[in-house]
Amino acid sequence: MTDTTPLDAAPAGKPTKSILVEDERTRARNRAEARFRAYGIAAIAIAATFLVILLATIVVRGVPAFTQTYMTLDVTLEANALDPNGTGDRDEIAKVTTFGYQPLIGQALVSLLEEQRIETPLPPPALILMLSQSAPAVLRDAVLDDPSLIGQTVTFELLTSSRADGYFKGRVTRESLARDRNLGPPHLDILDQLAESGHVERRFNLDFITGSDASESRPESAGIGVSMIGSFFMMLVVLFLSLPIGVAASIYLEEFAPQNRFTDFIEVNISNLAAVPSIVFGILGLAIFIQVMHLPQSAPLVGGLVLTLMTLPTIIISTRASLKSVPPSIREAALGVGASKMQTVFHHVLPLAMPGILTGTIIGLAQALGETAPLLLIGMVGFIASNYPAGVAEGFLDPNSAMPAQIYEWAKRADPAYYERAWGGIIVLLVFLMSMNLLAILLRRRFERRW
Amino acid sequence: MDDLRLIERAVDMNETKISANGVQVYYGDNHAIKDVNVEIADKTVTAFIGPSGCGKSTFLRCLNRMNDTISVARVEGDIRIDGEDIYDKRVDPVQLRAKVGMVFQKPNPFPKSIYDNVAYGPKIHGLARNKAELDEIVERALRRAALWNEAKDRLQEPGTGLSGGQQQRLCIARAVATEPEVLLMDEPCSALDPIATAQVEELIDELRQSYSVVIVTHSMQQAARVSQMTAFFHLGNLVEYDETGTIFTNPSDPRTESYISGRIG
Repeated sequence: MTDTTPLDAAPAGKPTKSILVEDERTRARNRAEARFRAYGIAAIAIAATFLVILLATIVVRGVPAFTQTYMTLDVTLEANALDPNGTGDRDEIAKVTTFGYQPLIGQALVSLLEEQRIETPLPPPALILMLSQSAPAVLRDAVLDDPSLIGQTVTFELLTSSRADGYFKGRVTRESLARDRNLGPPHLDILDQLAESGHVERRFNLDFITGSDASESRPESAGIGVSMIGSFFMMLVVLFLSLPIGVAASIYLEEFAPQNRFTDFIEVNISNLAAVPSIVFGILGLAIFIQVMHLPQSAPLVGGLVLTLMTLPTIIISTRASLKSVPPSIREAALGVGASKMQTVFHHVLPLAMPGILTGTIIGLAQALGETAPLLLIGMVGFIASNYPAGVAEGFLDPNSAMPAQIYEWAKRADPAYYERAWGGIIVLLVFLMSMNLLAILLRRRFERRW
Repeated sequence: MDDLRLIERAVDMNETKISANGVQVYYGDNHAIKDVNVEIADKTVTAFIGPSGCGKSTFLRCLNRMNDTISVARVEGDIRIDGEDIYDKRVDPVQLRAKVGMVFQKPNPFPKSIYDNVAYGPKIHGLARNKAELDEIVERALRRAALWNEAKDRLQEPGTGLSGGQQQRLCIARAVATEPEVLLMDEPCSALDPIATAQVEELIDELRQSYSVVIVTHSMQQAARVSQMTAFFHLGNLVEYDETGTIFTNPSDPRTESYISGRIG
């Protein structure tokens, strides 16, 4: 067909519009549409750029926290220093404090330097500064663990100090060390040579993921593990309280409650609660759970209770939305064959609403996992030096921190090594959140049914 | 309307199954049903016809108290099934609905297997003592709903995977599986094509052997084809209630005449 055919075919006298030529209105409409598409693409591009920048920053700054510089050192555990009477008795050996192990490390460093023919003006006490302050404790723990080591020469993998570690990560330079009391350029000369000979090595540090927080002066041995356990126990409390309470409340409100002013009032308040700042829940928890009910401070149980209060509105709102989305015809069908109200809900409505309920719950949990502000008020932040909880009860009741609170705490500390750990903690937290969201998606797929 | 063979249709008046006296229904301030009196016979198909919004579905839903689920609905008057007042305080609507089954306008199978759809009612009412009995009930219900031959090899497949007509017959099977005495059908064919409609209508005629069937329909032809008694509703009033043949050939009320000849509606 040629372009002219429709025009030719038009009856003479009456003007007909050709649809092959765009008229002015159509052109304007198409231009508006093209503009709108461009805005949409631009918006997505901007959002994606920010996301990429954010993730890239987190990865670049956080990944170094997962590696740590170690020094391989042969330490001779001299018997006359550690167990002068030769008793072999653990209590006797325990009398030697970490302070008593320092000379041994100094000695070991001197002999390592001699063996490697490295010359240095530094005396042994200054050499020790290359290593973490935790190094003597590592030796002492090993000896207490196995007293037969005394008298032998044992190879230890010791953490280097955070400054030395920072030097290998590019965080610390010779210039920045000029004013440092602890480490100076002579140390760096030694470290460079030891790195060349393979005695100093940077590698993956599992202790960052599993370990506990450390004091301000030894960031190299701080880990997020114990606060992870705190978060875990809090999430248990939140899950086992907010899911049943939230779902029961939503089912009652959605399926059973009469429509009157009182239920309207409750509904409005649930929506309002969802918008209440989380710190308000924190001060509420402080007043009720700690000051009135005398639950222990800083305990994951209290944190979990506070976060439950915070999560409930989210779960109730999303559960009610998914109950609403079940078509009424299913309810009618069940009632029509003589099912009771409760049978209708539990046999038909609830299974269909399940994907939505689970997604809402997991999103609520993820929110709670990342919440920091209420934890500040109930004391779940600060230095938790304790190691792993001894049991389940201790897990709920002993003072602990939570991952976001631990990150906040690290970010507050002065040492740049802690700053790096804060970024690393963010990565761990994000991995948790992403796996929870992934779980939500998987559950949704698994339970989704058509009707 | 010669093809409807209305004259041949014998109406033997069975005993009354449902009797309604002075029924009023209000939706909030809206007076939806105004003083309806009707006697519905056993083993008979009774059709409710009338224009949209005339209250025929509302009245149907009074008969198994489905209106209870609508909080603003209020029912007054006296509805008796086998002489028992269904709005008596002692009546549990759940028990009533087991006795008065219902099929809805839109096929609404549960998102479960065909077998589970049919077996659900008998299960919750404890009609089967074991799996074999349940199997038997399911087969009987599906046979009655003329779905057995099509469904017997796919009982474990989802009921929502059937065609529209099959789904509606599945819903009928689900309703008859609980052994009701009355079957209410709210425009059961409005979502179906002519072939499926014909199948369902044939089915309704067979169900008359065992049940009192009450059907709401928009299609006057359908009312004429399947029912023995017809009630014409208009603006919440029961205008005329008589044998189907009489309603369609010799109505006594001018409004009925106008409606069946297409002048109002």
